[in-house]
Amino acid sequence: MQKAYIEALYELIVKDKNVISCLSDSGTDYDELIAREFPEQCINFGISENNKVAAASGLAACGKIPFVYTTNAFLAYRSYEFIRDDVCLQNRNVKLIGMGCGVSWSTLGPTHHTTEDISALKAIPNLTIFSPASPLEVKKCLKKSYEIEGPVYIRIGMSDEKEIYNNDYLFETGKNIVIKNGDSATVFATGSIISELLEAQSMLLEDNIEIRIINVHTIKPFDVKNIIEECSKQKKVFSLEEHSIIGGIGSSIADIIATNNIDSKLIKIGLNDKFAEGYGTYDQIKQINNLDAKSIYKIIKENI
Amino acid sequence: MENKLIELRKKIFLTAYSASIAHIASAFSIVEILYTLYLKKVLKYNPTNPYDKERDLFILSKGHGSLALYTILNEAGFFSDDVLKGFSKPGSYLGGEPCVPNIPGVEATTGSLGHGLSIGVGMALAQKMDKKKNKVYVLLGDGECQEGAIWEAAMFASHHKLNNLVAIIDNNKVQKMDTLEKIMGINSWKKNFESFNWKVKEIDGHNIDELEFELKQPEDQERPLLIIANTIKGKGVSIIENNPKWHWKLPNKKELKVIMEELNISEEDIMSCKKHI
Repeated sequence: MQKAYIEALYELIVKDKNVISCLSDSGTDYDELIAREFPEQCINFGISENNKVAAASGLAACGKIPFVYTTNAFLAYRSYEFIRDDVCLQNRNVKLIGMGCGVSWSTLGPTHHTTEDISALKAIPNLTIFSPASPLEVKKCLKKSYEIEGPVYIRIGMSDEKEIYNNDYLFETGKNIVIKNGDSATVFATGSIISELLEAQSMLLEDNIEIRIINVHTIKPFDVKNIIEECSKQKKVFSLEEHSIIGGIGSSIADIIATNNIDSKLIKIGLNDKFAEGYGTYDQIKQINNLDAKSIYKIIKENI
Repeated sequence: MENKLIELRKKIFLTAYSASIAHIASAFSIVEILYTLYLKKVLKYNPTNPYDKERDLFILSKGHGSLALYTILNEAGFFSDDVLKGFSKPGSYLGGEPCVPNIPGVEATTGSLGHGLSIGVGMALAQKMDKKKNKVYVLLGDGECQEGAIWEAAMFASHHKLNNLVAIIDNNKVQKMDTLEKIMGINSWKKNFESFNWKVKEIDGHNIDELEFELKQPEDQERPLLIIANTIKGKGVSIIENNPKWHWKLPNKKELKVIMEELNISEEDIMSCKKHI
């Protein structure tokens, strides 16, 4: 996903001299290549996320379009008030890209995991939030964020995420996408964990369970219409996220079910009021925390 | 004190009294700084076109001094007396802390301390990127410099040679609960900012001539400028001066009498002010 981000950013930097890449000692070799070619559009703020977010607000106030890119946890948690007051409250045209969402920083542990950012940030007015499922979707989110005149937050993974789309497709802000059809149950999922869900879906098929998979790539504005339609058709729906189940997409779906008097039971899959446990590779951390394909398969099968 | 400066404080006090609350002492300490910036024409601005591309940018990072800024913006022609009288009342766009985009002449929302200098460095960098000559001014509180982001911004401004940036510290030495010395006695702003490679000048923040002289000096070749303006919190009223209890309060009857005497406020002024409540 990082590479996809850099490729998409490169296109924007070439296209518009007001697009500014803002790093905080957080870039990769790819960033260095852009900085070599476009030094005036690349700023490394050093390890000072709060200054960077507020300065991005100042840059945007003067017509620049800053793309603020750093480790997801340091952006979403450390700089929360700066995002709220300087970017969202002032409705500045700043793009905030959190790199290494969920547990993708794997073995570096909970200080580097970002498993409560959706809960925290979705409450802030004026902020559009994207949670892409694959490298191709990262590119689409980035392009879309450039078209939006206002604050956008994009949570992306790192380097191991799989592509889930075989072909190009229509990406619209706030419009969920049906990834797989099925009648047994509907699963709403967000982010790269969708690739685990696709594996789980194949396992469930062997048990004659056909699940419908909906990609919730936009956390805000949330696709309320789609959720109402889908939940009204199913007695049992699931939410899946590499995130806490408190305040994540599951909570947003629960709100919609409750406030629209929909007769459907929701099972939320994610971290249940805990920090991700254990150390290991990304795959191992997902296994330890029941966020891998096999665990997802079991939870759906047991609850369907 | 010059009559004009007493008049400005009178206006600030009556607006606060009418609103039933404000940070009066914090506003009083920055009257001369703002007066010099706006009414001695240090800043380039255009009240009939607040977003004029040729304007300089000013940020009141210590947003709680808003009433001084609003009063000066009113004097400079950005909005009317009636607008000012609406301060902190329903229907007004003038709140206790300044917010964009509704207030003509206000460039950034402030209120939570420690944000303004970072916003300012972003604005100053944007001017450099566009090869524009517009300058950026940020007024900081001295207590505010206890916030970590101030020092992140100070490092950044120096590293990027933002010589189009001027920070002014309202060095009144008093914060909400006590003096800075007692709460956090590490406040050698001159030494600290010089060690971050800023050009630093220290002056009397209530002396218009000194302020005007320093603020009109040509910019340094490379370094951002810090002006340490030594001020008195609550300047202009004896019972408010240097008294932390006045950080956010209105007077009782006895105190009101003193304020009225020292700021030439009449009974009619108070009656008229009550009409607006």
